[in-house]
Amino acid sequence: MQHVPDLISIFFPPWKNWSFFWDLTVSGLTRGSIYALIALGYSMVYGILKLLNFAHGDVYMIGAFLGWFMLQWLGGPSDPFISGWFVVACMLLFAMLGCGVLGVGIERFAYRRLRDAPRIAPLISALGVSIILQSSAQILFGTGFRNYQTETLVGFSIHNVGDVFFSTVQLVTVLLAGALMVALTLFVARTRVGKAMRATSFDREAASMMGIDVDRVISVTFFIGSALAGAAGVMFGLVFGQIYNLMGFLAGLKGFTAAVIGGIGSIPGAMLGGIVLGLAESYATGYLPQGSTFHDLYVFLLLIIVLIVRPSGLLGTPAIQKV
Amino acid sequence: MKKLLVAVAALVGVAVAASVGSAGTARTAASSASAVTCGSSRTIGFLVPATGPAASIGQQQVRWAKFVVNQWNKTHKTAKIVISQQDTQLGAANGSAQALAGAQALKSNSKVLAVVGAAGSNENKGIRQTLKGAGFGWVTGSATADELTTTEAGTRGYFFRAVPPDSQQGTTVANLMIDKLKVSKVYIIDDEEAYSTGLADTVEAKLKAAGKSVTRDGVSQQESDFSALVAKIDRSTNVIYIPWQLSPKAAAFVSQLKQAGKGSIAVMGSDGLYADDFAAAGNPPTIYDSMFPVSPGQADVKAYEKAHGGNGDFFGAPTGVATQVVVQAIDRACKDGKATRAEVRAQIAKTNIPKSILGFTIKFTKNGELSGGKFGLYKSNGKIFLPISL
Amino acid sequence: MSEHDDPRDVGLPEERRIEGIPARPDEATQPRVGVDSWVASHEERRQQATGIGGRIQDWWRRTPPIGRLLVFLVPAIIFPLVSNSGNIYRYGILTLIYALLAYGLTIVVGFAGLLDLGYMAFFGFGAYAYGFLASQHTGRHWQALLVLPVVVIATAALGIILGSPSLRLLGDYLAIVTLFFGQAFVLFANNANRIDFPFFGEVDLTGGAQGLEGVDPLNFFGYKISTNKGYFYVALIMMVLIVTMLHLVNNSRTGRAWRALREDPLAAEVLSIPVKRLKILAFAFGAAVAGLIGCLYSSVQTLDAPGDYDIGLLITIYAIVILGGAGSLTGVIVAALIVNGVPELLRNPNNGRYVFYLGLILVLWYFLKSWKRLLIVLGGALAFGFVVYGITSLVWDRGTSGAPVADPETGANWLATAISHWMVLPTNATQIANWAYFALVLLIMASTLMSGWWRTLVLIPTVWVAAFAWENLLFTPDQINGPTRLLLLGTVLVVLMNARPQGLFGTARVEIV
Repeated sequence: MQHVPDLISIFFPPWKNWSFFWDLTVSGLTRGSIYALIALGYSMVYGILKLLNFAHGDVYMIGAFLGWFMLQWLGGPSDPFISGWFVVACMLLFAMLGCGVLGVGIERFAYRRLRDAPRIAPLISALGVSIILQSSAQILFGTGFRNYQTETLVGFSIHNVGDVFFSTVQLVTVLLAGALMVALTLFVARTRVGKAMRATSFDREAASMMGIDVDRVISVTFFIGSALAGAAGVMFGLVFGQIYNLMGFLAGLKGFTAAVIGGIGSIPGAMLGGIVLGLAESYATGYLPQGSTFHDLYVFLLLIIVLIVRPSGLLGTPAIQKV
Repeated sequence: MKKLLVAVAALVGVAVAASVGSAGTARTAASSASAVTCGSSRTIGFLVPATGPAASIGQQQVRWAKFVVNQWNKTHKTAKIVISQQDTQLGAANGSAQALAGAQALKSNSKVLAVVGAAGSNENKGIRQTLKGAGFGWVTGSATADELTTTEAGTRGYFFRAVPPDSQQGTTVANLMIDKLKVSKVYIIDDEEAYSTGLADTVEAKLKAAGKSVTRDGVSQQESDFSALVAKIDRSTNVIYIPWQLSPKAAAFVSQLKQAGKGSIAVMGSDGLYADDFAAAGNPPTIYDSMFPVSPGQADVKAYEKAHGGNGDFFGAPTGVATQVVVQAIDRACKDGKATRAEVRAQIAKTNIPKSILGFTIKFTKNGELSGGKFGLYKSNGKIFLPISL
Repeated sequence: MSEHDDPRDVGLPEERRIEGIPARPDEATQPRVGVDSWVASHEERRQQATGIGGRIQDWWRRTPPIGRLLVFLVPAIIFPLVSNSGNIYRYGILTLIYALLAYGLTIVVGFAGLLDLGYMAFFGFGAYAYGFLASQHTGRHWQALLVLPVVVIATAALGIILGSPSLRLLGDYLAIVTLFFGQAFVLFANNANRIDFPFFGEVDLTGGAQGLEGVDPLNFFGYKISTNKGYFYVALIMMVLIVTMLHLVNNSRTGRAWRALREDPLAAEVLSIPVKRLKILAFAFGAAVAGLIGCLYSSVQTLDAPGDYDIGLLITIYAIVILGGAGSLTGVIVAALIVNGVPELLRNPNNGRYVFYLGLILVLWYFLKSWKRLLIVLGGALAFGFVVYGITSLVWDRGTSGAPVADPETGANWLATAISHWMVLPTNATQIANWAYFALVLLIMASTLMSGWWRTLVLIPTVWVAAFAWENLLFTPDQINGPTRLLLLGTVLVVLMNARPQGLFGTARVEIV
């Protein structure tokens, strides 16, 4: 009878070691919230333009750097002019605004003329923009790492609810991401601009015939998506410490995967996809053999399985091919 | 028929233009036996990752090489040294192709007599056929893989290194852990790069041979979130060994270790992590590091620090030693007014530099290794690394 | 019946005939069946290309394919005989390898229209497979004539394996899955030296992060290719074979079927074209080419490192395919010369300057479309520069005391010295140059928004700021080999897609909605 827990733990590993499980869950939720924010940008843009915006990950990277600069202008982590959390709020606002403007600029100059071009053209243009952003960041900021030094800024206080340990920063990240996602859902569902966005993503020509300014709607979409990416960048820096000019590539890839898993084009899908991806990575690292080395491979397998079982993602609508 | 004639005329024209164009950039192919007149300036080749992901350490090597050459040129105005620098972009997407292109360019430049570099062990493996075929002797300041000096490598007498190899670093580290720290349980994490896995393998083997319990894991160099990894580390572990190359990542790892409440476990790094941010991340936990044996009180080191705002750039110091070796070898080979690459190579093998930057006499063994080289051990005091002894 | 009564001869000049469509007796008065007015005006639009450019285009189109091949082949044959080994490697072998990879990618993207972002996995697989069968690391030393077919077939099989699950995926999903496959391959290659198989124990497949070293040179019945010249000629032979093959395939039934698949998969399926089989065939074909090139690359490099087969190379090859025009065989070789040759030229500070300023003038000419305006902008920029230089040398000490970037071995050439008298070159310029870079981006965006004379006016300071940022920031040894090269590539891609999406040699496609 005493071997039953051992047997159960073969199939359900957390049974033996719950605190390990909660550690992994907390880590996965934090990561997942950041992925969800990035995935939202991808999903929104794809929904409206059917474009995979490869430059999105680099907008996230710029957001992280903008936050860092704001931190320095406010006096640096050890001696800020105002209290720690106000600094964080300023950093977030600055990064979101800056990235929003950057996103609008990218759309205006790199994608606007290519709305009716063959699909590969805006894709390559997006690739070009991504390369430009990465190289510019390297030229202007160098290849070195910059550190947010969160410990000095707001401290690392650790709380616990029973067996579940988490730090303040992690809690703030998850809550803030959740708040932003709720705000976005309300925006899309209740406001006029949100309605215009939904209409445009459904049928662009019909929307423009109904008097919707399609250019403006697309600009607003890019602004919101990029602002969310900027916020994600700042949050990443707060939780994990360092930022560098190539961080956008990997994060963009993960955000992209999250969007696909959840169903690209669907906003709740992006949120779900992000959380699922974050948790999957965590559990893979913790429980699967050689998990920390191969967790990307396991996530890839997950993606393939999801696409085979539900080709349009978990919450996506099946694409109807118009003849 | 007319079209074909037009086509032929066009291609003849293009061919002429191309030949004229490429003749302008061609230089005579160098053969290893051709002698170069030692005039008032001599050229050395320098393969270094001046740009790319490893630029932060590459630039240290560049600064040290330039410093050594400047010192030499000040006192030898009629025998100046010119550096022909080739950027190898270690770690970049087409890095191996860049390294090979750089080696080929040096081979074709008949003025180059010997080479300093390359920085990475993989790079050296890729270019050794080319450099050997060119007849060069080359001295590296940071490629520490053991296989570079074995008989199978086939480069004895051509390849030298001014820095102790991985096996020595691994042995020193393992001895510290077994004898001084008296560990029983060690967690080793490599960063999946060649340098790291080599070191990790050596240390793991030595610890297992001594009967200690070792868990081996790996994490990608691009990973910044170590929380899941940290969760896997058992609280009863004595030491976590992280032979990584990027000190900010190591600092982040330590801080996340603290966040998870596991700050009582000691952390040991390797020479790639010899930087202030890694040292300052600790206390708790205790941080150790192993590093090239640079002697801080030595005259050249002091002069370097003075010229560079107090920054010692210790990672680049062995490249400075390599440059000294090459420069002095060329000087000796040039005594008769002419020098070939083979002569310079022979002179490198006879190097003897007492009181060097590394704190001991620089002499090479038959394999091209430093004779008498050993690694230094350091412990962080919360701000910087201070040397300790076994 | 005289010879002029041939019913196909209706007296039209030869140039107005479209090949392959027979003329009808009433052609002069009736539009051709099955040809709508847009397609029928194809010939007229072709004739509209006037001037030197038009004549070259016309001549090029009329040359038989073998002639077009010879135009590139003859200089290529002469090239190794007049340059040194270092240049052969840099300018010759690497260009050929990239061009060959681009040809392979053309089959998948250009002919069949499948967006494969994991192409480098096939290249890497071919390289590692060659190393697995012929290297000192694994102890096997097979002959080239045995290894090459085996590797090509194995890579083609891998292409089939990858292609099969992708059949269900539409365009963008295919891109995602193949991208991930490429990443998975790199990850696998990086770690495959410590895999624990249940029966075999620990197996070392790829040498892990250290890479597979000691790869044998190509060995044809004992004759080993060991010089750069040798490899160059082998690569050239491979290129001729592959180009011929592609040309023949393009004009065959399969090629036409691929074109149909590319343009409209649904219509193709309705016309009973075996779409699934064609997709897998495209994947397999492209993979086979990549596998062959992998062998060549592996034997030249003598080391297979995982990082070589990653996204960076993929972007370069895609840039070559897109720049040349997807589906155009000439375009690939021209684009490969540009994409590989130009950054190499930029390496040498003295040559690189020519490239930059010439390129700047060409770009301005393309966008201004008139000699007058180009001269105004250039003259204005010169004058602006002198004025600023004069003011700075009076007001700011450090402003003009820096030196232009020059070749450390040969010193500054005439252009560098000329520039140092025109452009402000401060010492320790990094801070200012960063702001100048930022200002440059804003100015370029502003000039795109304007038109007419306002644009010409704004372009004058833009050109000057561009030269300033170039001399003080982008051309410095720290940046030129890394970020600047990538920056130029990215800019070329964005500008190309916006101005001429079909690339240099591609045909403009109309998306029929």
